[in-house]
Amino acid sequence: MKLLTKTSLNFLSISLFVFLVGIFLFYFLLRVQVNKNINVELDKRKNNIIESITSAHIGNALPPNQNERIELTKITNASYPDLYFSDTVIFDHNVSKFTPYRQLGFIATVGDEKFYIQIFKSLEETDNLIIRIFLIMTILVILVILTLLIMNNFTSRFAWKVFYDTIEKLSSYDVTNKTELALKHSDVKEFEDLNLAVQRMTNKIENDYINLKEFTENASHEIQTPLAIINSKMEVLLQSGDLSDKQLKSVADTYDASNRLSRLNKALLLLTKIENRQFPESTSVSPELIINKQLELLEDLIQSKNITIEVHKTEDCILLINPYLADILFSNLIKNAIRHNINKGKLIIDISKDSLIISNTGINQELQEEKLFKRFYKSSESSESLGLGLSIVQKIAEVYHYSISYQYNQSLHSIGVHFNTTGKTSSANK
Amino acid sequence: MKILIIEDEVNLANSIEEYLEEEGHICELAYDFKQAKEKIDSHAYESIVVDINLPDGSGLDLISYIKEKNISNGIIIISARNSLENRIEGLEIGADSYLTKPFHLSELNAQLKSINRRINFSGNNEIIFKEIRLLPDEFKVFIHEKELILTSKEYDLLQFFIANKNKVITKTGLAEHLWGDYMDSADSFDFIYTHIKNLRKKLISASCSDYIKTVYRVGYKFEAEKV
Repeated sequence: MKLLTKTSLNFLSISLFVFLVGIFLFYFLLRVQVNKNINVELDKRKNNIIESITSAHIGNALPPNQNERIELTKITNASYPDLYFSDTVIFDHNVSKFTPYRQLGFIATVGDEKFYIQIFKSLEETDNLIIRIFLIMTILVILVILTLLIMNNFTSRFAWKVFYDTIEKLSSYDVTNKTELALKHSDVKEFEDLNLAVQRMTNKIENDYINLKEFTENASHEIQTPLAIINSKMEVLLQSGDLSDKQLKSVADTYDASNRLSRLNKALLLLTKIENRQFPESTSVSPELIINKQLELLEDLIQSKNITIEVHKTEDCILLINPYLADILFSNLIKNAIRHNINKGKLIIDISKDSLIISNTGINQELQEEKLFKRFYKSSESSESLGLGLSIVQKIAEVYHYSISYQYNQSLHSIGVHFNTTGKTSSANK
Repeated sequence: MKILIIEDEVNLANSIEEYLEEEGHICELAYDFKQAKEKIDSHAYESIVVDINLPDGSGLDLISYIKEKNISNGIIIISARNSLENRIEGLEIGADSYLTKPFHLSELNAQLKSINRRINFSGNNEIIFKEIRLLPDEFKVFIHEKELILTSKEYDLLQFFIANKNKVITKTGLAEHLWGDYMDSADSFDFIYTHIKNLRKKLISASCSDYIKTVYRVGYKFEAEKV
């Protein structure tokens, strides 16, 4: 839940709890205090009565100014409780209902006559008073709580604004995007500290990224240049008429090896660049066009191997992807399918909106899926290949969240690229 | 042609010079931006081979400079960087082609030949070698003025051979020219043999001399007969 909600709920529940406990305590204390007051009053009256009775020397005469209820009984023995407070309910004719009273019973001695006197005090007004006080207190406390809550909410919203802004900027942060983070300033120390730390961290990330990019580009330059020298020297040497056949062969082999080295370097560099997300630009690409171009380029090879090509298209396929990477991805798949194909073999291409599956005949047994996409893995057929083609395919798929599947079914090897990640996720996707 | 080679790596520059001079071109070298600019200002070159990464400037700026001066010459960029942006930029500011290092000198040679035809024989774009006449714009071949039908790869092969006549070309070089980087498959090596066999057969059946010589275990050479 949101922070504000959490703090508000905490505040609310605690204050509610304290409020409930407090209010009951308050009520209890109030009642005790009121009872005490009533008792004191009754006691005073008792003293008044005793005084007036004893001073008047008349047992039956009730002291004047008694607008409170009073009962007097002459008693002969002292088996009545003395100074006994109790609560009782008496039917009041004036208001036609039962009213609560507090009564005090005591024994008064006039001469040698004993009287049992009971005096009463109506609790109705005090009860009402207590209730009113209670209600006012409750309303006051609730008002205070609500006001505090709203104020807290309001000021928090304001104080946390910078924090939420930072969160938003962080979630849309992309190191390949060259725009500044531009975090806001806050007078809350913790948020300032946070923003400072975030800024420092992103600066470092950007620097590392730039260094990495530069490194991969410089590495390419550094390695390719001596290779270019080797190649050119070898090619010139090949033209020399002074070499024996054996020497000529050595030169040719060196030339070929250096070529291979340079292709290897280019491929590894490509893998690194893809991993570093150095190809952010995407446009609309049609894989079908790329595949057709590749089929045309390798036309003669396809013919010489007598491979039949079938294309099944259910829907048009358009992808948002870097065109350079798209070209590599689909060309590699086609090249692979031709390279590993057999004489009079088949090449089937299934195109739909969500996937592209390329199937080919080849070795008569299922390939090991985990190994298939690993770098430098080659089936025995073509040892001249670099073994990086499918690794590159997998790497590109990773960047765009496509999933790659491999199946061997009815002597057809099928490699599929699934675009909305609804396809089978291959265990080779590591 | 008179060619200016702008390359800061001395060894590489020398190799290119040696190869091209054997082709009959006149070459001059420049090892940095400053030298290159001086040479461009003082001489006229028909073609310029320029490395983008020079120690004191960018080859791309040189190209813009050349285009400003409106000299009609061909420009080939060589670069260690295979970046798409560089390639597009280079071609947009007026280069004829972009080669990534390391490249086959035979490929450079073929590109220069095509520039040569554009500059010096504009309007008459054809390649003539003895009894063979090629029309690159139409992919047609005439032997003794009689048209010979070749597949597109066979035509490509023949044109490449003639452009690089008397040069030893390895199988790798041929394969890479024909199929780009598919060539790393074992099939393509055998396949070159098949292509060449077919080409030879067709040429001979059209009464063409067999100029394609096999260099044992290395590659091939299109040899003009010794006079």
